[in-house]
Amino acid sequence: MKNSLKTLALGTALVTAAGAAGCGEDDVTIGDGVDTLIILQRPARNDMGDIFQYTSYVPKTASGKNARLVQLSPPTADGVQTTICCDKAGPEYANIDISGYDISFDARQIVFAGKLAANQAYGLFVLDLEDGAVRQLPTDPGRDYTSPIFLPGDKIMFTSNAVVEEGAPQHRDEYERGTTLQIGRINVDGTGEELGPRNLSHRTFPTLMSDGHVMTTQWDHLGPMNAGHLVFMNQDMTQLREAFGKEGTGASNSTLKAREISPGRFVAIATSRNRTIQAGALIDVRLGDTVTDSKGNVSADHNKSEANATYRDLTPDVPHDMTPSAETIGRYYDAYPLNAKDKPDLLVSWADGPVESGVLGSAGLSANFGVYLYDSERQTRRPILDDPEMWDVFPRALQTRSAPPVVASSLDENMTGVGQTIIGSMNVYDSTLFSFAADSIYGVRVSEGFSSEEGFPRMFGSTMFEGMATLGVARVRADKSWAAYVPANVPLRVQAIDNFGMSIGSEPVWFSGRPGENRFCGGCHENRTATTTIDPGLTDAIAAGPTVFVKTTAPREDRLSMDFSRDNIVGVAWDRALQPMFTQKCVSCHNGTPSAANPTYTITDGMTTLSWTFDLRGNALPAEWAELGGDSHFTASYLSMAGPDMEAFEKGGFMIVSGTVKQYLLPENARESEAIMLLNPTKQFPTPSSERAFATTPHMVAKGQTDLTADEFYALILAADNGVSFFARENNPGVVAY
Amino acid sequence: MKNIGTKLAAVAFVLLAATPAMAGKGGSAERIRDAVNTSSVDAIIAEIERAESIMCPDCVPIVTNLLEDNRYAVREVAGWWFAKRPGLKDMMVPGFLEDLKSGNAIAVRNAADFFGATVTYQALPAMRDAIKRDIGAEGKLALVRAVGTLGNKGGNAVLVTAMADTNDEVRAAAVTAYREIRGQKDGTPIVGMLADPSANVRAQAATVVGGMRTAAAVGALENIVVNDADPVARRNAAWALGRIGSATSRDALTKASLDKSTIVAGVAKAALASLR
Repeated sequence: MKNSLKTLALGTALVTAAGAAGCGEDDVTIGDGVDTLIILQRPARNDMGDIFQYTSYVPKTASGKNARLVQLSPPTADGVQTTICCDKAGPEYANIDISGYDISFDARQIVFAGKLAANQAYGLFVLDLEDGAVRQLPTDPGRDYTSPIFLPGDKIMFTSNAVVEEGAPQHRDEYERGTTLQIGRINVDGTGEELGPRNLSHRTFPTLMSDGHVMTTQWDHLGPMNAGHLVFMNQDMTQLREAFGKEGTGASNSTLKAREISPGRFVAIATSRNRTIQAGALIDVRLGDTVTDSKGNVSADHNKSEANATYRDLTPDVPHDMTPSAETIGRYYDAYPLNAKDKPDLLVSWADGPVESGVLGSAGLSANFGVYLYDSERQTRRPILDDPEMWDVFPRALQTRSAPPVVASSLDENMTGVGQTIIGSMNVYDSTLFSFAADSIYGVRVSEGFSSEEGFPRMFGSTMFEGMATLGVARVRADKSWAAYVPANVPLRVQAIDNFGMSIGSEPVWFSGRPGENRFCGGCHENRTATTTIDPGLTDAIAAGPTVFVKTTAPREDRLSMDFSRDNIVGVAWDRALQPMFTQKCVSCHNGTPSAANPTYTITDGMTTLSWTFDLRGNALPAEWAELGGDSHFTASYLSMAGPDMEAFEKGGFMIVSGTVKQYLLPENARESEAIMLLNPTKQFPTPSSERAFATTPHMVAKGQTDLTADEFYALILAADNGVSFFARENNPGVVAY
Repeated sequence: MKNIGTKLAAVAFVLLAATPAMAGKGGSAERIRDAVNTSSVDAIIAEIERAESIMCPDCVPIVTNLLEDNRYAVREVAGWWFAKRPGLKDMMVPGFLEDLKSGNAIAVRNAADFFGATVTYQALPAMRDAIKRDIGAEGKLALVRAVGTLGNKGGNAVLVTAMADTNDEVRAAAVTAYREIRGQKDGTPIVGMLADPSANVRAQAATVVGGMRTAAAVGALENIVVNDADPVARRNAAWALGRIGSATSRDALTKASLDKSTIVAGVAKAALASLR
C-alpha cells in the first residue's frame, strides 16, 4: 500500500512549520544497504506520561486501526508500506496492542511485546519474517513482559514485572503507583526463562552493546537520589555497573532508550520522569575518551567510566524537563543511529507541539509521533511516515548485523552457597566518592531494601527513604578487604562504618546479585578507569571466609528481629526499637512542654500556621502535623527527631515564623546528627567500651541522668544511618491480621 | 453529593482557613479545577500529582469530589492524594466505612477504591461484610480490586465470597487477586475455578494455579489444555502445566503443541521441555 498523500503532506507540513531546511520535496535517503525499514504503529494515546508506564492498552483507533508492525520499502516517504504483523496471525490477534520489538541478527525474525486483550498481560511473540508465522513464548500470563531484545546465543532479554523471588511481591514504584519492571531473559525457543536480580525501582529499555554487554535504564532511588541512569550488565544479568547519569554527568532527571552509535557512544532520550510521554531531547552520550577514525567515525570506548562520561545535546531547543515543548520544537520518542559521524544521522520518532500529558489531555489530544530522518549536523528533520491516528515509533533498518560474542556465565553456587551472592572489595579505602582516614573503617554494614509491596503505607518515614533491614557488619581485614555472603536477588546498600558503628560513607545506590554471583569490587566505588586487579582469592577476607550474616539464608518474611540489641537488630522500628528508650530515659524532660529543653518552632504557608514543641513521647501526631510528618502512625518523638517531610515543607511553600526547624537525626549521617553528637555514643566495635565518639560531655551525664546503653546507642545510630524511617518489618502494619 | 457533603464536614476545620490563593509551588486548586473542567483523566492526574505535597485547603473539596468520579483512574489518584495527607484521610475513613454498609453499589465502589488507594487495612472487616450484600457487580469488583491492592490475608474471605458470585467478571477478578495476597501459598481454593463456566475465569484460574505451582490442579489443567474451547484458557493451562512440571502432563502438552492456535502451540512446545 502506498503511503497516502495526506500522510506525506502532513509530514511535510510539520517540517515546514519547524523551519527545517532542505526538507519535504526530495526523497529521503536512509543510507547504503538499507532498502527496508520496520516501524511500529500504535494507536495514539495519552496515558503513557511517565517513563515507566508499560501497561497502556489501546486496541483500536477511532477508525478501527490497531497496533501493527509495518515495513516501508524503499525507506522513503513514497515507499510502499506493508503490514507484516499481526493481521494474518489469527483471530486471537484481532485486538492486539504492541509496545516494542527487536529484529534478530540475521534479520529473519522479530520479537515483540504484545497484549491481546484488556484482560491479558503483555507477552512475548516471535514473528518469522519468511513465512509470517507468529508464535507466543511461554511467559507468565499474569505478568507483563516488554521491551524484548535479541541476545547472542539464541536468547531474548526483556523487562517484566514477574518476580524472581518465588512468592514475593514485586517492588512498587511509590510515585507512579505501579509495579516495577526488572530484567530477565529467555531462550528463543521459549525455554529457560531466567529473571535477574532486582533493583528497588524500575529497570527499563535494555539495549545490546557491540561488546556484548547490555545497557539499560535503572531508576536509582535511595533517599535523596531519585533519577534514571544508564547502567550496563553482562548478558546473564550479572556484574551491573553504572554508565551514565550520576557523578554530575547527567543531562536530565531521566536518560532512557539508549541505542549504540559506536563502541562507547549512544544516542538516548533525556527527559523528566513523568508527563512527557517517554519523550524528550536527543543526547549523544560518550562513556569515555573520543577517538575519530580515518572515515570520520567517532567512538568513545577508551577510559570508559561514569565520571568520564560526557554528552552532547543533539536537539538543543527540546526541554530536558517536563516543560511542555513548543510548537515546531516538540519531543523525540526514540532514535536509531544510521552512522557514527561526529554529528550522526538518525532515524527518529518525533511529535510536534506540547508533548506533555496534562496539556495534551486538557486539549483532548494525543502526541502524534511520526518517523523522520534527523540530520543532527543541520538539526533538520525530513518526514518519512506519519499516520496522524497512530504513533509511528521505533523505526529500524531491516538488515543483518553482527552478533557480539556470547559472554559465558560465571555463576557458581558451589562458591557462594545456594541462593546467595558474595559481595566484597579488595581495598575498601580505594574510593572516588569518599576520603577515608587511615584505619578509620571498622567494617562494612550491609542492609537490604524493600518498598511498600510488603504491606507498608506509602511512606516509611518523613525522609523519603525506603524500608531497610540490616543484615550485618562485615569486618574489614588487615589488608583492607572485606567480603560477605548475602541473599541473592534483593537490593542491597553498603556503608563503611567506624568503631562507633557510625557511617563514614554510604553507597548512594542499591545493587543486587544473582545466586552464585561474585560481586567483588576493587574498592568502595573505586576509580573505574584505573587498572585494578580483582582477584578475591588474594584477599584476607576470602582467606578467612566471607562473613556469614545470620539472616542471609532466612526467608524474606523472617529477615527481622524483635531483639534490638547491637548484634541482633535488623530493622529499626521506631515505636518498638527506640520509643521504650525515649520513654524510660528522655520524656521526663522532653515531654512537649515548652521550655529550654523543648524548643518550639512555628511555620506558616500563608494560610495555615502550625507550631511544634520538642516531644519524645510516643503520642500519635495531631492530624495537622500528620500531613507534614507524613503518616498518622508517626509519633511525637518521630516528628521531633526526624523533622517534618522537608519535600512537603519546601513544595508547600512553608516559611518559619519563629524558632528553628531541626532534624536531630540526619539520614545516613549519624555522625553529624545533633542528637548523636549531644549524646556522644560509646565505642561499639570490636567490643563495646566506655570510649566516647566526641570530646564533649555526654548529654545524659551532664544532666545527671542514666546514660544510654551500648545497644541503645547503636539502635539510635542505625536509625539515622538507615535513613531515619519510622517503619521497618518489625512494625509493618500490613502483616497484622485484620 | 450527599456523601461528599458528609465527608467535607469532617474536614471542615481545614476549610476554615481556606482562601482562593494559590497554595505552595506548582500545584493549586485552580489548576486542579481547570483540569477537572476539561474532563480529561490525564490532565486531572497530572494536576493532582503536581499538588502532591502542597498544603491546599482549597484543593480538599475538589479532590474529595473526585473520590466519587465515575472513572477508576481518577478515583485512584484522588485517593493517592489523600494517602499523602494522613490526617485528612483518617477523617474520611468513618464516612467511607458507612458507605460500605450502605448497600449502594456506587457508594461501595467509591469506598473500596478509597480504602485501596489509601492502604487502609482497618476497612477489611467491613469489606468482608460488604461483599456478602447485594451491591451489584461494580461494587463487588471494587471490593475485590481493593483487596488485591491491600494484599493482606484478611481479604481472602472477600475473594472466596466473590469467587462464588453470579457475575463472571467478579469471579475472574477474585481469582486474579488471590495470587496478589502476600504470603499466599495454597492455590487449592482456585482449583475448582478451573471448571468455571466462564472461559475468562478458567484462563485466570490457570494462571494463578500455575503461578503458585499447585500440583492438585494438574488434572484439570490437562483437561483444559486439550479440550477447552477457549484458546486463551488452553494457552494459560499449557503455561501452568509447564511451570508445575509434572511428567504426567506430557501427553496433553504434546497434543497441545499441535493446537491450531499459535498462542497455544508455541507455549505448549516450550512447556514440554519443562516437564520432569
